[in-house]
Amino acid sequence: MAADPQPKPLVDAGALWFVVSAVGSVAGGWLSRQAFRDSGGLTAAESVPLLAGLALILVAGFAAWKLAQAGVYSWLLPLAAINLLLLQPGRAGDVRSWRLEWGVMGLAWTLAAVLVFARLLRHSDELERRLHLEGAFYGLAFGLVASVVYALFETRLPELRGQWVAVALLLSWWAGYLVTARRYRWRA
Amino acid sequence: MKNRLRVLRAERDWSQADLAEALRVSRQTVNAIENERYDPSLPLAFAIARVFALRIENVFTPDAEPPPPTGEPPE
Repeated sequence: MAADPQPKPLVDAGALWFVVSAVGSVAGGWLSRQAFRDSGGLTAAESVPLLAGLALILVAGFAAWKLAQAGVYSWLLPLAAINLLLLQPGRAGDVRSWRLEWGVMGLAWTLAAVLVFARLLRHSDELERRLHLEGAFYGLAFGLVASVVYALFETRLPELRGQWVAVALLLSWWAGYLVTARRYRWRA
Repeated sequence: MKNRLRVLRAERDWSQADLAEALRVSRQTVNAIENERYDPSLPLAFAIARVFALRIENVFTPDAEPPPPTGEPPE
């Protein structure tokens, strides 16, 4: 009988591109912010971190594209969550245009994650579809329970931001997918 | 549900990837069915039987067979 290759461990698939993209996003965002610490015009010295930051963000985008190209879509969920945390409009400071820009970029990430998964569900086989639907259910269930628990203690808890809710839903969706995949011994 | 996928594949010298390609599913799905972690849908179960040129009951059997009938069939 033809030998069946041993399935790769779940955490290995796409992990490299995930790390590259996550580090690129975080480091690129931090370097770009350094260039705009002062409200004055951009000096030659400040343009270096800006260019380096933009280059890292491009690398992060390339790594995310590689993840989608390799079909390991599940890694896009935590990646979207990281970028949503980075792109909270509240962190952009008081400059309205930056807040708008960060908000729109966060929305773009969220829409991309949703569109990629809609495409995945249409083209995947029945077991993979089941994994993602069960994972999404766990994410939604967590969101519902967490919302009710928050409402219970909201007078004592910090004000909830929309971005946090989106991040929690994305991460619980991803965690649900991993748990379900393990149950069926699926190796992505 | 029990199945004979591994044996049937071995008889034909097919890999999981070969069977997955014939069924147009992923190799991981074949792996999950073969290890009895996942029961396929009825259309996929029929497709598997067709690929092996067998009847579906020759590929899949329920975990617990129903007891044989003892009395007269119901009216």
